[in-house]
Amino acid sequence: MNINVRILTKSVSQQYAFKRIVTFSTKPTQQAAVAAVPQQQEVTGPSVRKPIVPAHYRFVYPEFLPDPKIEWRNAIREKLERLDMLDRRRQIELPEFYVGSILAVTSSDPHAAGKTSRFVGICIHRERCGLRARFILRNVIDHQGIEVVYELYDPTIQKVEVLRLEKRLDDSLFYLRDALPEFSTFDENMEAEPLEEGAPVPINDIKVVLRPRPWLERWERQNLLGVANIEQYIKDKHRKSAEKVQKPWEKFDLMKQYRATIPEEEQKEIFAEVHTELHTLELQRKRNKRKRTFVKPKHLA
Amino acid sequence: MLRTVLSDLARLRLNGFVCSVTQVREKGHLNRPRLRNPYWFMRKQRSQTDDQVTGENRSFIKEVIHDTYGTPALIKGVQTYEQKQLIKTNEVPVSTEPWTPAVRRCGLIARKIGQYPLWLKNGERIRTTLLQVVDNHVIKYTPPEEYKPTQRPNVHNLNRYGCILVGAESTNPAQLTKEYCGIFRDSGVMPTKNLARFIVSPQAALAPGTPLNVGHFRVGEFVDVRGKTVYHGFQGVVKRHGFKGMPASHGVTKTHRRPGNIGGGGEKGRVWPGTKLPGHMGNRWRITKGLRIWRINTKYNVMWVQGSAVPGSTNGLVYIYDTILPLRKPQVAPPMPTLYEQPEDDAPDDIWYEQVHNFKDESITYKPE
Amino acid sequence: MAQILLRNFTRAGNAALLTKGTSCSSITGTSAEPGSCQLHTTPACCEIRKLARLRVVDNSDLGKRAMAEGRPPRCIHVYNKRGVGLIGDKVLVAIKGQMKKGILVGLKQKQRIKQPQFDSNNLVLIDDNGSPLGTRIHVPIPTVLRTILKEKTLAKGADYTKVLAIASRYV
Repeated sequence: MNINVRILTKSVSQQYAFKRIVTFSTKPTQQAAVAAVPQQQEVTGPSVRKPIVPAHYRFVYPEFLPDPKIEWRNAIREKLERLDMLDRRRQIELPEFYVGSILAVTSSDPHAAGKTSRFVGICIHRERCGLRARFILRNVIDHQGIEVVYELYDPTIQKVEVLRLEKRLDDSLFYLRDALPEFSTFDENMEAEPLEEGAPVPINDIKVVLRPRPWLERWERQNLLGVANIEQYIKDKHRKSAEKVQKPWEKFDLMKQYRATIPEEEQKEIFAEVHTELHTLELQRKRNKRKRTFVKPKHLA
Repeated sequence: MLRTVLSDLARLRLNGFVCSVTQVREKGHLNRPRLRNPYWFMRKQRSQTDDQVTGENRSFIKEVIHDTYGTPALIKGVQTYEQKQLIKTNEVPVSTEPWTPAVRRCGLIARKIGQYPLWLKNGERIRTTLLQVVDNHVIKYTPPEEYKPTQRPNVHNLNRYGCILVGAESTNPAQLTKEYCGIFRDSGVMPTKNLARFIVSPQAALAPGTPLNVGHFRVGEFVDVRGKTVYHGFQGVVKRHGFKGMPASHGVTKTHRRPGNIGGGGEKGRVWPGTKLPGHMGNRWRITKGLRIWRINTKYNVMWVQGSAVPGSTNGLVYIYDTILPLRKPQVAPPMPTLYEQPEDDAPDDIWYEQVHNFKDESITYKPE
Repeated sequence: MAQILLRNFTRAGNAALLTKGTSCSSITGTSAEPGSCQLHTTPACCEIRKLARLRVVDNSDLGKRAMAEGRPPRCIHVYNKRGVGLIGDKVLVAIKGQMKKGILVGLKQKQRIKQPQFDSNNLVLIDDNGSPLGTRIHVPIPTVLRTILKEKTLAKGADYTKVLAIASRYV
């Protein structure tokens, strides 16, 4: 059924088909995410009576979608996992963030002096689903690049703040390891830069400057958008070998896409189950935020 | 000439008839006890000939099934039937003998439904496997005197243990053979897809029809889990035994993933038994022992056990037993012979082991020294 | 010979060297431009084992001179049973023709969840009693070292907690 829909849409327009495909890893779609969200609403508006679940939920809460590998799926397990995730979300505010956003994570640390530690950094990667969801923060402190892996639902995490909510041009920013250090340096005492409510998440189209080879990975093969000077360092042999490993046909492989993603109908089911809870949590958070902003001037005065 | 031969034959026949002495040659070979499968090993699936059944008859069959076993229902996350008429044995039997560590209780049939992490109260992360107990009912109890297993146990164990037959996952009897359905006739339980035999002490006997659920085990106890490992087919030594293989280059030809030398020459010039060689990998029954139960969900009959090394694939069948490890046996009596009382309505679904962090609690913090 | 040296250098895989432009060019200067240097570029082995190059991060005179000259210390022994250095392990290094002991205070290797992973393999030089040669560590060190070094101090008799005292910052 789902494939049928996709094939039909494909025949209508290739681009359109891509935006309809819903991904777990958001590999091809994250670039198209912002563009897709308004269009999605247009599409679903007339056909479905009421779009109950906002279409952007799958980008805001990607970890609620299970692993698409069919051998590992089980409805009851996924349900229990979601219940646990919601329980945890009731205790702690886990905000919306993307790869490229700047986060500050406060976690309890038995080794630290004050028993808590705070780390500020840019999210360079986000992976896994369910309670295993995790992300990597990177920062350069005292000219020393440091990365920390955090699990989103780890109960030792006390607070996750988004200091700057934005996206980058790529799905993972591992190339920051090979970039000049100023591109991953962020001030630890950075103030949060709040975004207007309802505004789309901005895409930071900054292009980072890489250091000369040797690199940790062969970046020239990965079609990175956020790198400025990759051409400067590669030679013809690199270009040739990079061309050889390209798989331009994969974007036409609907079956591959289907296996790598959760079908749209199932996504709707999943989010319909958790939507009300997430929505009330969101509202509560907004209310708290308003309270906080209301209190602030009093303190200043 | 002919006459003598005939008379000889007649005499032979007569002799055989009169003496009736059986041949004693190769007696030892014939005397070995034949391995007989248990009586519930029989053809399960009926060959489907639906085209001969009219629609009316089909609905009639369905009606009959619903009349006898109840309508289809989703009970504790498992698609089954309301088997209300079965719960006749629900009253607690008057247990005469108390639990001792030597008592062997019944086990459960479960499905491995996946794995995910839990956290302890000290912030440590543990990996757990989720096992869902799927619609278990006792089918039959055979007392020790009548239980004749295929392989007779050691003499001192003879006739000490009975056998409980447990079924899991009720299914439409119209799809099963008549003989297979006959196994379930006396218990009154709906025919089930899966059967398992558990060797129990006579104190832990259960009446046929008793439903078993996850309350049979308690949080913090240890269990053994038996399952069939994932089948990998015929595999080479690199995958099967973790050999290193040989270099990719430096003049190596055609022996990149081969075992290399498999033994010496001379007097030991043969392949020694037990040599690691290519062969079938997986699809063996394996028991992981001593897994702690961290958490139990009574709503969906799910238990979280320690580790991710439970044999079998996700959604595969496993059997859960009380552990046999002597140091991990329970100190206090577990539910004997099983848990009969239903949980109260306002009781929480989840029962957490005391060391495990409940996701409903606040974040973990450490006290400054 | 030079080829072997170069290969050893990359195999030890210390990107910290490469962050320092001076040291990089001093080593690769023999070949050519940075883009066309003849280093082979297999992924670096991030483990601290024998002959791995380390980066001295304290302000000891010896360490500073070694790093400035582009001749970083090489691990010649790891004082544990595995032979692969983990965080807080003591190592023996060859630095400027001398043998010195040091403590690993930051690793490139994959770390546990919530423990920092560094872009270079950092080392603090100590003497035989466990007291550091320098007076300050100029990069952050992981908080887990506090626990690890305290435990090792009790076990070994040498006092490693002095390393913690000269740390400027924890992450």
